[in-house]
Amino acid sequence: MRNANIAALGALAVLAVLAGLSQADALQSVRATKDEVITVVVTPSPAPIGFLPRAVPPAPRAPAASAIARLLDDPFAGPRQIASSGSAWDVAPGGGTLVAQSSVQPGPVPVQFVAKPDPNSLYLKLIDHTPELDVPYGTTVFPCAFEVYTFYDKATYALNDYGSGTAKSGTGPYPILNFPATSYLSWAAPDFSSTFAAYWNSGAPGEKVWSGAKLQAQQHCIDLTIVVPNAQPAGTYTAVIQYNLLVN
Amino acid sequence: MREYMMRATAALLFAAILVPVPAGAGTTAYGSANVNYKILPSVHAQVVPNYAAGFGPQGGFGSGSTPAAGAGAVLNGGTVDFGNVVVGYQYIYKYAAQVSVQTNDSAGFVVYAEGATDLNGSAPVPSPATFPIFHTLYWLASNASNTAFTPAKSFVRTAGNPIGGGALGIDYSGVGGKPAPGSSVWSYAVSGNVSQGFDYQLRLPGSIPTSQFNVYIVYTVIGN
Repeated sequence: MRNANIAALGALAVLAVLAGLSQADALQSVRATKDEVITVVVTPSPAPIGFLPRAVPPAPRAPAASAIARLLDDPFAGPRQIASSGSAWDVAPGGGTLVAQSSVQPGPVPVQFVAKPDPNSLYLKLIDHTPELDVPYGTTVFPCAFEVYTFYDKATYALNDYGSGTAKSGTGPYPILNFPATSYLSWAAPDFSSTFAAYWNSGAPGEKVWSGAKLQAQQHCIDLTIVVPNAQPAGTYTAVIQYNLLVN
Repeated sequence: MREYMMRATAALLFAAILVPVPAGAGTTAYGSANVNYKILPSVHAQVVPNYAAGFGPQGGFGSGSTPAAGAGAVLNGGTVDFGNVVVGYQYIYKYAAQVSVQTNDSAGFVVYAEGATDLNGSAPVPSPATFPIFHTLYWLASNASNTAFTPAKSFVRTAGNPIGGGALGIDYSGVGGKPAPGSSVWSYAVSGNVSQGFDYQLRLPGSIPTSQFNVYIVYTVIGN
């Protein structure tokens, strides 16, 4: 009986510790949220299948501009026969000739906004360095594409992230596809690790980026790696990563 | 010599008498004329800000405030006025501008849009007084499902000469007569009477100063 009581007390103690840890997690609330919005421009860039260098360099050609100048100067010279009627040219080709085009410029659109200070900037800031990734097909690395600043003055904190709007749906737009597909955009914080990890794409709660002590201000680079698969059409895409500052 | 001259004159007069009279004289002749003509291509265009009900800003997720259109925004006119926005957050302005084009050019047209300047800060005047429009103000074709995070392209500052600060347009005569190819926002391949609406996005980096900012977006339509 005494052994049973001791076992029960031990189990209670373990439960109490687990409950305490669980409560500590549950107490974390989102103090600030920011979205890192990155434009991804995929440009057509088919890689050559092979390359065979010429055995003999080709003879240099006369610049095209001089050929056009000669043609403008005497359009009937040489062996070429050029159809014309009356005058030599209706519109002379090349040579900087301006061809009239109808154009119109309607009234401009006035745009206005009033930028107000960010009350959350004391705790969480995103500092952009490469807001647009112009990428060919294949893998491209962008060192320190942006930086993240974190600080909290009342308790310890943690920074987490996930692909904004992602869910466990299996579909989603390029480049941060929904789970279980793997995101084509990966990140690394080189101050902590040089290993890249695909962005979390299952929505909240996301993945931990780093944690900090009370009153600890820190700012770190985020490196990005993006993969453009061959099947991805050229065009403009957007990657949105949500950063959350969790505090106790 | 005189005798020679008289003989020559007499010979000329005789030759003139022998010249035949045109066969058609005094009769009616019929024929056809091949008339070639060209119809000059024409292009007309109008731009209407705030062109549909429901216009105005949305977004600012996480900023703690809800955006609302400023006083300068009115239906079918006025300013694309985002009102108060918070540094570090993203917004979309629905139904910002609609471009309508009428042209008889069978090859269609291209519409370009550029910022007449960078963003001009005032109230208070920041230092420096301007902030880049590139990677701050974006455009995308209007769609009901558009959000502040929908893929969009950035406006650029023109290489031309803004007239009246942009209020009267942009003079492209010094830069080849037309806007940069990269500022194309709409291309149409045939003639017609057509319209296209655009939404604007505002992505405010943390480095933009707190101030009021203004800019003119100038649309230029050129027949192909």
